[in-house]
Amino acid sequence: MKSISIYLSLILHRTDLLGPIHNFLLVFLGSSLILGSLGMVLLTNPIYSALSLGLVLVCISLFYILSNSHFVAAAQLFIYVGAINVLILFAVMFMNGSEYYKDFNLWTIGNGLTSLVCTSILVSLITTILDTSWYGIIWTTRSNQIIEQDLLSNSQQIGIHLAIDFFLPFEFISIILLVALIGAIVVARQ
Amino acid sequence: MMLEHVLVLSAYLFFTDIYGLITSRNMVRALMCLELILNAVNINFVTFYDLFDSRQLEGNIFSIFAIVIVAAEASIGSAIVSLIYRKKKSTCINQSTFLTK
Repeated sequence: MKSISIYLSLILHRTDLLGPIHNFLLVFLGSSLILGSLGMVLLTNPIYSALSLGLVLVCISLFYILSNSHFVAAAQLFIYVGAINVLILFAVMFMNGSEYYKDFNLWTIGNGLTSLVCTSILVSLITTILDTSWYGIIWTTRSNQIIEQDLLSNSQQIGIHLAIDFFLPFEFISIILLVALIGAIVVARQ
Repeated sequence: MMLEHVLVLSAYLFFTDIYGLITSRNMVRALMCLELILNAVNINFVTFYDLFDSRQLEGNIFSIFAIVIVAAEASIGSAIVSLIYRKKKSTCINQSTFLTK
C-alpha cells in the first residue's frame, strides 16, 4: 500500500497523499463492510445474503492490503472468495428454494433478546477499546540475528517463519486438510 | 486513531455475525455467519501485526492458519448440511433428530 501511494504521489506531484488515501480507503471499506454484514444478516433471500458475504470478504481482503499484509490478502481472496463463497453458493442453490420466500423474518422474542444482549456486549466492548491506552503497551524487542525484518517483503517473512519457527504446525495443517477432505467426501457420499 | 477504529469495526462484525448465527432459521445462513465471525478475529490479528513491532508477533502466520482451518471446517460443514437436506428435505434448524435413519 505504501508503494502504491508513493507511486501515485509521484504521478500527481504531491507528496502528502499517503495519509488521505489511507483514510479515504479505510472509511470506504468500513462502510461497505458494515452495510454488507447487515445485508447478510437481514436479507431473506439466501442468494442475496451469500452475495453480501462475498462483498464483505472482498472488502476484508482489500483491508488486508491496506495493512501491508499482501500474502494474507491474496490468501483471503483465493480461499475465502474463490473457494468458500462458491461452496456456500452451491449449498444455497442445492436447497429447495420455494420455501424461502415466505415471511420468515418474523421478529420473535428470541430475536429481540439476542439483539439486546449483543448490542449491550458490543457497547461495553467499544467503551473498553476506546478507554484502553494501546500505545502504552511496550513490546520487548529481541534482536533477530537471522533475518532483517525491514528489508524483506511480507511473503518472504511468512516463508521464513513457516520454515523455521512454525514448521510443525505447518505439517499438522496439511494433515488436517487431508483428513477434512477425506471426511467431507465420505460424509457427502451416499 | 486508526487502531481503535479497526478494532471497533471488527467487534461490530463479530457481534453482528453472532446475532445472525443465533437467530438464523436456515443452516446455510448459520454457516455463513460462522465464517464472518472467524474473519473478524483475523482482522484483529492482522491489525495488531501491522501496527506494532513485528519481530515477536507472528499474527500473520496465525491468521493464515486460521484461514486454512476455516476452509477445512467449511467443507465438512457444507457436506453435513447437504447430507441433512438429503435425509430430511428441509433445512429448518430447530429439528433435533438430524442424522437418525
